[in-house]
Order: sequence, then structure tokens, then C-alpha cells
Amino acid sequence: MLKSRKLLAVLALMLSFVFVMTGCGKGSNQATEGGKDSIIVAQGADAKSLDPHATNDQPSSRVMKQIYNTLINTNEDMQIVPGLAESWEQKDEKTWVFNLRKGVKFHNGEELKASDVKFTLERMLASDKVNHIVEAIAKVEAPEDYKVVITLKEPFAPILAHLSHTAASILNEKAVKEAGDNYGQKPVGTGPFKFVAWQSGDKIELEAFNEYFEGAPKIKKITFRNVAEGSARTMGLETGEIDIAYDVEPVDKERVKNNDKLTLVEEPSLSVAYIGFNTNKEPFNKKEVRQAINYAINRDDIIAAVLNGAAEKAGAPIGPKVFGHNPNIKPYEYNVQKAKELLKQAGLEKGFKTTIWTNDNPVRVQIAQIVQAQLKEIGIDVKIETLEWGSYLDRTGRGEHDMFILGWVTVTGDADYGLYALYHSSQKGGAGNRSFYENKKVDELLDKAKATNDSKEREKLYHEIQEIVVEDAPVANLYYQTQNVGMQKAIKGFRLHPAGHHRLYNVSY
Amino acid sequence: MRKYITRRLLMLIPVILGVTFIVFSIMYMTPGDPAQMILGESAPESAVKALREKMGLNDPFIVQYGRFVKNAIMGDFGRSYATKKEVFAEIFARFPATLQLASVGVLVAVLIGVPVGIISATKQYSLFDSVAMLLALLGVSMPNFWQGLMYILLFSVTLGWLPSGGYGSFKHFILPALTLGTSTAAVIARMTRSSMLEVIRQDYIRTARAKGVEEKKVILKHALKNALIPIITVVGLQFGHLLGGAVLTETVYSWPGIGRLLVDAIKQKDTPMVQATVVFIAVTFSIVNLAVDILYAYVDPRIKSQYK
Repeated sequence: MLKSRKLLAVLALMLSFVFVMTGCGKGSNQATEGGKDSIIVAQGADAKSLDPHATNDQPSSRVMKQIYNTLINTNEDMQIVPGLAESWEQKDEKTWVFNLRKGVKFHNGEELKASDVKFTLERMLASDKVNHIVEAIAKVEAPEDYKVVITLKEPFAPILAHLSHTAASILNEKAVKEAGDNYGQKPVGTGPFKFVAWQSGDKIELEAFNEYFEGAPKIKKITFRNVAEGSARTMGLETGEIDIAYDVEPVDKERVKNNDKLTLVEEPSLSVAYIGFNTNKEPFNKKEVRQAINYAINRDDIIAAVLNGAAEKAGAPIGPKVFGHNPNIKPYEYNVQKAKELLKQAGLEKGFKTTIWTNDNPVRVQIAQIVQAQLKEIGIDVKIETLEWGSYLDRTGRGEHDMFILGWVTVTGDADYGLYALYHSSQKGGAGNRSFYENKKVDELLDKAKATNDSKEREKLYHEIQEIVVEDAPVANLYYQTQNVGMQKAIKGFRLHPAGHHRLYNVSY
Repeated sequence: MRKYITRRLLMLIPVILGVTFIVFSIMYMTPGDPAQMILGESAPESAVKALREKMGLNDPFIVQYGRFVKNAIMGDFGRSYATKKEVFAEIFARFPATLQLASVGVLVAVLIGVPVGIISATKQYSLFDSVAMLLALLGVSMPNFWQGLMYILLFSVTLGWLPSGGYGSFKHFILPALTLGTSTAAVIARMTRSSMLEVIRQDYIRTARAKGVEEKKVILKHALKNALIPIITVVGLQFGHLLGGAVLTETVYSWPGIGRLLVDAIKQKDTPMVQATVVFIAVTFSIVNLAVDILYAYVDPRIKSQYK
């Protein structure tokens, strides 16, 4: 009897322990009940760090976008607008002067000074993770409290777009030095929301920063929840526990659309998926062969079968949201007859054998399978080889491949980032030009566009570059993937940002 | 007894060394480049190379492992490649969620499994027995993630009684604990039944009944106590297992536990994080095993004399 009493006591102890521990947390998920001044945003992964120089991943950027500001902003229409710098001018080819807003407060009460900008950009240049975004910068000076002078290594027109990247968010020197190695968990910015708490793996809480220089946000509290499972994000929307869900799974899109209380917003992102040809190798050194494959690929099938329709067919090598996109370029039409004719012109009417490389990304493997079947129709016998990511990049960089599948995200939203690395002959191999494409005219235009400051002129140059590149067809552009967000219908003021990190400052219930 | 416990704890040292060596080798041999993972697809090759060099990833295996062991002995398991947080700080931040879920899950499992097992054994081949064992079989066979999604659909989406996921209040516990509890309960029920069946046929049970002892007392006191050893073993193993994180359940319910931490770290080739998490799980598992062994001594005094 004594024993069973002991057992009961142990059980009771365990129970109370559990209840005490669970009692510690507070239930805070009544998204749709009562006070509508707080919102819960769900995304598929937790942030890694809230130090913009420590990571460059999407989930982290999406949170940092609310905490920090950049000198320059790229708005939802991909236009360059003032951020912490209220104006700027170009002194000469390589020198830019930025005039800072006065009276901007950091969340720790410090005022924004030019020294913070200098400190931030120098720290960024020293970071192995994000320095490539500002590598054009030679030096940063702060001659006055509200004036920053940036000197470039060489003329580089897209510098403004690069400075608008979330990785170039401006930090407070004092806060960074105080937090030391733990700065990533104690971020201090000038943004509309300040950091409150981070329950690792679960959620990040932010609250409105009432001294924000554009005025306090309408929403008082934002919680970013980590909901890895796509269907769980959709169910959370349906139950009202989640106000905004990023990246609704393609299979769940209809469910969200058909729900009276929810809306789904969808737009192209800045990414493009493509099949590259090794133009150094037979028979891909012949333009007709590359064009033939372009005509033989049915992009609609790929988008329907692999992406459940969550993409737009691609013609130009950069998407419609990227500055410099040429809207006159249409995707290659699906035309088997024309493809066969082109092969005939190349002297390959009987087709040939080749290989297509992909890494183990399931989307790419499926694309490879579909393309394999489609190319069979024009007599090209394709073997699929799946490589591990590291050696895939390594070996395509060395040019050992015939065809390969890759994607590119023009993170800065500027054509230079999307075209220079992929089509300039100086970038052959691992630097980005894995089709080993070389065209003197394209090189010349790319260099010129990079150094031209007149945006109308630049746009014209990029349009021309895209026309040549699409005609030369060193790659077959497949699609621009779309991005989506599901949310409660009552939410106002939300806009998708093409780069994927949406600004929540204007959101309200 | 004390000597025995000390010896068992000392045995943890070779276990940990072995575990770290195996994990380190696997992480080293599996494809993927941590530097590339950190920088992402669009990063230039020069940046990846520079980062590899800085992280010491170009050194030979034995140099890298040696460096890890040396630092670990000094108590420094390093910082996560991905988040730059100290790995054990991160693990300790996540462990309470796992411990709570595992405790509630096992509690639910014991409260369901043991009584069902006892009744099934005493009423062998009855309707209750057949139905209970059928349900137990279903419980063992149903994948947790599917069961979890069904519970969410029913209790959250359709009925709106409980949250569909997340961590915080008591309500958040119910569905994940039920998901873990029912599948674990099935294992416990089957073990309780077979263990009880064995004991019930012993002579001393017949003697007790012959003496006219009340049936309830015969079952709960004489039989159950002697049938407990295998049941405790199973409960202990299941508990240890759950402390290592229930990845699928955690994923379905967005539960911030150890299991997801480990899986995310593996996906990102975050070697320091994987290393520390596996060591941590190995140690907790060993401690739970030790606790079970000590518990044996209390349940069965005959065993106590063997612990020296």
C-alpha cells in the first residue's frame, strides 16, 4: 500500500511539475479576437540572426526589415526612394555624397549620426557573409554629423540598389559594441518596430517604436511565428490564429482563395529558373541547337506539373520586377516543328545524345525529367545526372557539363546583378557565367550600363543586352517563380515586396 | 549503490567520445559545403572560398576533429554556423519545450496504456481485449504526422476548440501530447498485457486467490507489482526517446523542441549544432536509462543486491 502511495505521489509531482512549467507561458494567440492592434505573421523557418551582417537568409531579412532602415529604399514598385538618407548626389564618377535625415532615433535612444553609417558599412565590408553586396565600395567617410561620403573602386551605377539591400541596414555603433558576439539576439535599429523577445525556434516579438521618424506604426505588436509545415500555416489562417502567412503551399492556394475570411496575394518574385548550355562544347556551340532546345521546351507543362502554376513563363533573363526588364521579349514559343528545322540547319536532323545536370533539389530533378521527355520529341536523347550541390557548383564552374539547371535571384532588383554575372565573359565559370558565353558586344554594353548614371540610358542598354542574349540563347529561361502571401481579409495596407521581405509598417486591421 | 551510479556516470565519457567521433565523421563525409549553405546560391565563389578558409574547413579531418575535442574538453562546443549563437545556450533554450512535451506525452501514455493493458490481460480474449488490442495496433501503425494533422483538422479547424499549433499556454499542449501519448500508449498497453498475462499464471497468484484475497488486490498488488519491470523498461525507453525530440510531432504543431533544432541543423550542415545536440541527447538518454535501472531496485528488492 505504501508503495502505491509513493507511486501516486510521484505521479502527482510530475503532473504539478508539468502544469507549473506550462503555466509559465502566456496564451497570446488570439489573433482575431479583441484588440486588433497586434498581428501574428507565420513563416516557414525561424530567423537565424538579427544581425544583418551575420546572415542573408529570407526569414531573417523579413524580420530585420521591420527593425532597421537602409540609407536608400527600394519600394514595392522597385523604385529607389529615400531612406535614412533624405538626399544624395554624385560628386564624380566614383564619389557619392549622402545627406542624412536629422533627428532619427535608434531604439536605444541614440541619434543617428554619419559615424554610425561609416561604422556599419565598414563592418559590412569586413563580414564574409555579406561583403560581396558592397564590394564596389573603396572607402566611407563621415566629414559631418549628417553627411556621408562613399568612394567607389570604379564607377558603379547600381550602388544605390545595393545600398537598399537589407544587409546594408544601418546599425548603431554603441549598441553593436555593447552586445559584442550576441548582437544578433539584441538588434537595435531605427525601424518602425523594436525588438522585444525571441523564443528560439518558436517566435520573435516586436513592438511599435513610437519615436519612428515617419510616425508610429498603427500596429502595436508583431509576432513572427516559425511554422515550418506549410499545411499548418494554412490551417492557422483558417482558425484565425495567424493573421498573415508567408509562402502558402501551391496545393493550399485554392483553399485560401475560396475562404470568405481570407485573401491570397500573388506576384512574380525576383528569381528566374533556367537551363544553361555549355557553349564551349559541341553541339552547344551552335546557336541553332540552343534555339532549337528553347523551342522544344514546353514551359507551360513544367509550370503546371512541377510548380502547380506558381510561376510565369520567362522570356527575358530578368523578371518583370527587376529594373531594366525588357517587356518586349516574349518567351520562346513551344514549336516542335521549328525546333526540328533548326536542328536540321545545324546539321543534326537525326538528333544527338547529351546529358543534363541537376543538383538533388526535387523541383530541378522533376524539370530535368520533363525536359528529357520533351527533347526526345526532336530526337535529342538526354541523360539526367544528379549531383550533390557542392560538386555541382564546382564542376559546372569548371565547364565539365553539357546542360545544367539553375536559378538566379536578382536580390538587388537591378539588372546589373542579374545580367553581369551570368553573361559577361569576365565572369565565366564559378563567378556565374556557367554557359561560358562570350559576346564582345554584350560585354561592352554591360560595362557601359554599369558605369552609366542616367537611368533612362541604362534601361535602354539593358533592353538591348537582353535582346542579344535571348537571340544568342546561351540559356533557356524557363520561368519566374511567383511568391504569395495568405492573410485575413480584414488586414489593410499590406503589399508584397518583390524581394520577399515585406514591409509591415503600413499594415493595420 | 552509490558506487554503481558513479561507475555508470563515468561510463558516459567513452559514450560521448564515441558519439562525437561518429557524428563528426558523418557530417564530414556527407555531401554539402557549410560555407555554401551559409552564403546561399547567388554568392560569388570567391566569397565561399574565403569563408571556407576562415572556418577551417580545408583542414584534414583529423585536425578538425582534434580541434573540436580540444575545445569541447575546455567546455567550448562552439557557436552555431547558422545563427552564431552558443550551441548549448540554444539547446537549453529549446530543451524545456521538449521536456514538457515528453513528460506530458508519457504521462498520457501511462494513464491510458497501463489500465488498458491490465484489463485486457485479466479479460483475455474478451470483446474489450480484442478492441483494445486492435486500437493499440492502429495506434502503433498510424504515422504521428498524419494523426497530428487529423487532430488539427478536427479540434482546431472544424470544432475550433484548440489552437492548431505553437507553444505557450496549457491549451497548446493538448493536441501534441495526445498525438505522442496515443502512439506511445499503444506500445505500453501491449507490453502491460503480455507481462501481466505471464504473471497471472504464476502459482503465487493462484495461492493468493485461494487464500480468498479480493480480486482487485490480487491484480493490482500481487500481479501488477511483479509485472512492472518490463513496463518500466518500455516507459523509460519511450521517455528517453521522446526527450531526443519528436521531430514529426514538433513539425506538425510548430513546437520549438530539440528534434526540430537537430533536423534543421543537419539540413544546414551546421556541424557544431548537430554535434552538441546529439551529445546532449545521448547524455539525457543515458541518464534516463540509469534512472530506470535505479527504479528497478525499488520495485524489485532482489535486483538491488546486484547493484554493486
